[in-house]
Amino acid sequence: MASRRQNGLGRILAALALSTAAGTAGAQDFDWKAHEGEQITFLANNNPVATAILKYQDDFTEKTGIDLKVDSYQEQQMRQRLLTVLNARSDEVDVFMTLPSREGRQYAAAGWYADLAPFTTESVSPDYNFDGLGKALVDAARFDGTLTGIPLNIEGPVLYYRTDIFEKCGVDAPATIAEIETASKAIQECDSSITPFASRGLKPALPYTFSNFLHNMGGQYMKDGKSALCSPEGKAALETYANLLKDYGPPGVVNYSFYQLTSLYRAGRAAMSFQSSNEFPSVMEGGERLNDTAIVPLPKGDGGSVPTTIGWALTISAFSDNKDAAWYFVQWATSPEMQAKLALEGIAPPRQAVSQDPEYKAWLEEQPLRQQWQETLDELAQTGTSEVGYPIVQNPESREYIGQAVDQILLGEATVDEACAAADQELNALIERE
Amino acid sequence: MKSAKSQLTALGAPAVIFTVAMIAFPVVYTLYLSLEAFSSTGTTRFVGAGNYTRMVQDANFWDGVTITFYLYFLSLALQLVFGTALALLLFRAKRLPGFVRSLFISPFMMPPVVAGMMWLVILDPSLGAANYILTSLGLPPSEWLASPQWVVPTLAMIDTWQWSPYVALIVLGGLQSLPPSVYEAAEIDGASGWKRFWRITLPLLLPTLVTAMVLRSVDLLRFFDLIYITTQGGPANASLTLNIYGFRTGFEFFQLGYASALMVTLSIIVLGVTLVLNRLRHAVAW
Repeated sequence: MASRRQNGLGRILAALALSTAAGTAGAQDFDWKAHEGEQITFLANNNPVATAILKYQDDFTEKTGIDLKVDSYQEQQMRQRLLTVLNARSDEVDVFMTLPSREGRQYAAAGWYADLAPFTTESVSPDYNFDGLGKALVDAARFDGTLTGIPLNIEGPVLYYRTDIFEKCGVDAPATIAEIETASKAIQECDSSITPFASRGLKPALPYTFSNFLHNMGGQYMKDGKSALCSPEGKAALETYANLLKDYGPPGVVNYSFYQLTSLYRAGRAAMSFQSSNEFPSVMEGGERLNDTAIVPLPKGDGGSVPTTIGWALTISAFSDNKDAAWYFVQWATSPEMQAKLALEGIAPPRQAVSQDPEYKAWLEEQPLRQQWQETLDELAQTGTSEVGYPIVQNPESREYIGQAVDQILLGEATVDEACAAADQELNALIERE
Repeated sequence: MKSAKSQLTALGAPAVIFTVAMIAFPVVYTLYLSLEAFSSTGTTRFVGAGNYTRMVQDANFWDGVTITFYLYFLSLALQLVFGTALALLLFRAKRLPGFVRSLFISPFMMPPVVAGMMWLVILDPSLGAANYILTSLGLPPSEWLASPQWVVPTLAMIDTWQWSPYVALIVLGGLQSLPPSVYEAAEIDGASGWKRFWRITLPLLLPTLVTAMVLRSVDLLRFFDLIYITTQGGPANASLTLNIYGFRTGFEFFQLGYASALMVTLSIIVLGVTLVLNRLRHAVAW
């Protein structure tokens, strides 16, 4: 028995030694010019992440000799193009950007992602350090054992608030979700020209911010395979979020997404704005908010602090004829060297090591608010969840019903009980369809 | 003779094949898709009329039809009134400088996405110029696109701003082709300007107005880009037209079969309205 166990241990050790040797060999044999002269097509979402990467597009071609063809669209148009291309199993797109928290399950179930796991061990440059990427984000991109994407950034909704207004009105920064409401009330009474609290109200966009309220208040989207928006925690979250927007939000908040939130806060018209960490560079554009803003994760609720933490990922189409060259692009864009460059453009790095990079640290230290932003992101990375909407294949459609429930309460079209019951009915039907 | 015929066939064949490929194939394929159900993993199965049965029972579909027609009638009425008024102005004010004429007709040359973004900024209830002007005049501010009650009239207003000049150009063409002898006779008989408009201009313009109606109807029933840019069908579902509903069902929720059924239905509606208007055009021809 002992000898059999020793044999087993020996085999494991031998396998480990072999795999380490293979990995080392893979890294040692690695040649950035291995695919020189080939062409790949990158379908990009025209957002700050892609814009920052594509600034260095010529570096990639120079380093690899690979011709990079870029098709850039706005987010929804990009998905529309992807759906057409991937549904037809076309090889037109080699690399594309994806949000694992949104379409990850859907695209994985349809078999549209190539499995990137083998590439991360068999074809990596010695300085790539795959393990240096944030584990939570890598795990969030793994579906049924398939690694569907490599994280490009880390982001989540964070609370931007005006320290000068809080001081002027004699209000303490909110330490709990309940205190957001008391602070909003006090600010409204102190200065009626300021919007006390703003967050997303646009139906398909709001689950991104609402999910953080739900989780912090101890709620879950699903319990025992059923939709749980009508649970006491679910109802409390719906009511709190919708009423905060209704009573203290800006007029027309029901159409608010990142664009309006950023404009309102940057113009100095909101005391608190719960919106994406990605908007940091835009919010600070012009420098007017640099010295009167603080950034924190959403204050805790009855369920503690469970921030929403997601990220864009770069992935390879399962139908690409050029997966090896495509991997070179993925690897280059997600390498420590590139992510350090992107960080200096305000793209929060998904690598812990990059946030410790001296150049990046110096950049953060230039302004205390940058430091706060990074600290908030560190907390998101450590404690966050990527659950935005229901953890089902039809996640994008589930967001529709969450948004509808919030908006119905916000617009006074339904009570909390009516809105959550209608949403639960649709969501249970959706869950059953799976 | 025979060889000329075969030559003609050979020469015409590429055009016929191209037309069939570009027009008939997508239509037939959409019809085929409307009979299929797509699972969440992208696999399909034949469901016959299943998507159409589901559609009849779907409250969003009926709401979508109502909103589509509400937006259609409101926009069309406004565009015909303002388009005709603008055409009369351009017709009468012959000394209007060229650049003023160009300015009047410029909105419809603007891409709808640009127009949508521009109006989104103007109508923003907190930061937009529209509410600033209203409050400066002592009027109450509006929530514009964020109000479930006002979103459709606001969209109709934006579309009217953009497309009335297009209607005006068509009507202007009609005005220029009216026989001057009728007006001379009316003037001799002492008919007032208002009477001349109601009794002569408008009846004679009817065929032109119906042509403008046909052209605008096709676009208005398929109203998409402006809504997509400004509200995406919201607030709640207050501007979820059939076209937006179909798009979201297909491209965001992955249900291409059901979305195809919605689009086939919308195409039939557009075709039906166009046929009715064509009949009307023949009825009012002179």
